[in-house]
Amino acid sequence: MNERYLNWAVRVIGLVVLVTIIVACAPAPTATPVPPTKAPEPTKAAVAPTTAAPTTAAPATTKPPEPTKAAAPPAPAYIEIGASIPLTGKFGSLGQQVRPGYAYAVKDINDAGGIYVKEYDKKIPLRLTVYDDESDPTKAVSKMETLFADNKVVAYLGGAASDMHVATTAIAEKNKVPYLGIAFALNAIHQKGYKYLFSPFPKSVQQGPDTFTILNALILDQSQRPLKVAIFQEKSDWGAEQGALWKENAVKNGYTVVVAEEYAVGTTNFVDLINKAKAAGAETLLALPNQPSGEALVKQMVELGWTPKFSLIIRAPENVTWSTNLGKNGDYVTIFPGWHNGMKFPGVDKLNAAYQAEFKRPADLLTGPSYACVQILAAAIEKAGTLDRDKIRDAIAATNMTTVIGPVTFNPDGTAKVLDPLIQWQNGKLEMVWPKDQATKPLAYPAPAFDRR
Amino acid sequence: MSRTSPEQSRRIQIIFILLLIAILVALPQVIKSDSTINLAVYVLLFVSLASSWNILGGFSGQTNLGHAAFFGAGALTTRMLWLSGWNLFPSLLAGGLVAVALALLIGVPAFRLRGVYFAIGTLALSQILYITVGNMLPMISSLPAQDLAVYQLAPRYYLFLAIALFTIGAGYALINSRLGLGIMAVREEEDAAESLGVSALKHKLVALALSAFFGGLTGGAFAFYHVGYYPQLTFGPEWTFDALMMVYIGGMGTIVGPIIGAVFFVILRELLALNLAEMHLIVFGTLFILVVLFLPGGFMGVWGKISKALARQQ
Repeated sequence: MNERYLNWAVRVIGLVVLVTIIVACAPAPTATPVPPTKAPEPTKAAVAPTTAAPTTAAPATTKPPEPTKAAAPPAPAYIEIGASIPLTGKFGSLGQQVRPGYAYAVKDINDAGGIYVKEYDKKIPLRLTVYDDESDPTKAVSKMETLFADNKVVAYLGGAASDMHVATTAIAEKNKVPYLGIAFALNAIHQKGYKYLFSPFPKSVQQGPDTFTILNALILDQSQRPLKVAIFQEKSDWGAEQGALWKENAVKNGYTVVVAEEYAVGTTNFVDLINKAKAAGAETLLALPNQPSGEALVKQMVELGWTPKFSLIIRAPENVTWSTNLGKNGDYVTIFPGWHNGMKFPGVDKLNAAYQAEFKRPADLLTGPSYACVQILAAAIEKAGTLDRDKIRDAIAATNMTTVIGPVTFNPDGTAKVLDPLIQWQNGKLEMVWPKDQATKPLAYPAPAFDRR
Repeated sequence: MSRTSPEQSRRIQIIFILLLIAILVALPQVIKSDSTINLAVYVLLFVSLASSWNILGGFSGQTNLGHAAFFGAGALTTRMLWLSGWNLFPSLLAGGLVAVALALLIGVPAFRLRGVYFAIGTLALSQILYITVGNMLPMISSLPAQDLAVYQLAPRYYLFLAIALFTIGAGYALINSRLGLGIMAVREEEDAAESLGVSALKHKLVALALSAFFGGLTGGAFAFYHVGYYPQLTFGPEWTFDALMMVYIGGMGTIVGPIIGAVFFVILRELLALNLAEMHLIVFGTLFILVVLFLPGGFMGVWGKISKALARQQ
């Protein structure tokens, strides 16, 4: 018996070692380049811009300075950047909106010749490597290490959702690689003392007060305002953070919180909460469910006959299937997604056209902010004039430019001063109702009862 | 040509094992790529986790569908103690012991019944813990920036290597002991074992406690390794079912089966993920189905058949 098992043990441990050695010695796996960027030769001259992109947003569109006389060191063929994105799994629908933004921005920059890097005195194209982390933070960590060790990325681009960013930002910090990420409103990640994390995306500290100041600005008649507020707070760190900010800012802006209840992440039973809100006469609903919780919430509101005058349901309605699945019951719901394809900033039209050609619809909500991440990074690389990660990090921190999401500057904690547009589902379409100068439609308010739509 | 004696053969095998262990120990010194060391960490993590599942599932025949509860309990305890200032090793030990306590909590009542009750009980336990931990501990557990600045992968690798060797060694010692024979006797025929004076309950509980302890230790190592995650993550069902699949792929009830299964599963999945983007899940799923369909006894089953065929030819 002993010998038999010893034999097996020897063979298998041998196999383990063999495989480990093979893997270690094997060339790095070919990354999935996204998209087919048609990257020009590094020596190719810059292509003239095709749209009115902001000069600071697309460095490739600016005229490179005259070559210096001193011999520049040999330039790398590409500037390597990479992202671990949840393309499948529970955050897959978010990740699928994020990836095209990165891909289109890289393509646009490369079509114009790449990014001028002073150190090499030439334009160098970007090469984006994207891995699917299956919405699993542990796998995301592994992919981030691969991007660092094998692809030698000069910067990371983030995935989607706080669960994923919490793991990946820590790796960026550990490896001292600049990280630009969107699709998470959690402010707590920015309070960890991380130096390499930057997020051009509205955070809960902005959305808390914005909820009420925007409402007051859009509903000027105080008697018409939905002053009785129901907060359905997710049992998560983001839920606790956002819920506390809503409560604090409701009072400051003349609103009364009549119901503040918690629900477990992923729940599909909101009956008790809805009944409490209905009994308290709540007129505003503030909640943070992802899918499928968000759709379940609305369906149960329909069944129980409770229609708040105003609903802000962050995350779940960002999915493109929201209106398809809920029909007219999905209308009147508002969200804070950080962007809308109707924004009047340079580059948005081109992004929409590319998206329309590929996906048969204008760019999705998270695509604009992800596009902006690459714009910011490209500008920072050009400003740094080198591929040194620390210098790129410093250049990102000093960002002051206009992107497809509007003006962007960063705070010392890596959060950004960005617009926080309020979007509303109206007749099955996403319309921007705030800021007023960007709005595609006025706020549809108050929401009529579900049975009268 | 004279044949080697069993004693000589045994010595050669021991030397060979020690040599292989030495190579594994030297790995981080030879390979400087964090990506590869990271992959090796995952392999070792799942070698430990699958081997710990196998102590109960393979040797005693009790299907545990809630191994994540033990992994998660170990991870949570270790992480909390370690980040609060405890030394790592007492934290790890505490993690393992908490996992054992949980295991006995569910094992004592469930093992008094037969059939699927234990499987249902463990599944329920892990799901209850998954939801409860998510509700009670919703905050991120991430390493502070100053810790990240000095974070090194090599110590994590060695910790996982030590736990993997410890788990495999414990499994080997167990099946060659009187206790292990009793456990396997219960697996083969519980009534017959009882009639021979082998206490089925006691042997199953011992196997459960050992399985939970090593699962908890593995969870503790994960807590030491991971830079940032929500505590609920470690109680997720994937930790159970990934380990279970590895054992089935490699060969249940053997020492080496879980090792082969873990190596195959982790490396193949990683290579596919790096090369096929989101398509990798379809390819991996198909390969997994093919393995289950055509290799019902896992890789060790095939190895056994080949060995027998070769022996017959000789």
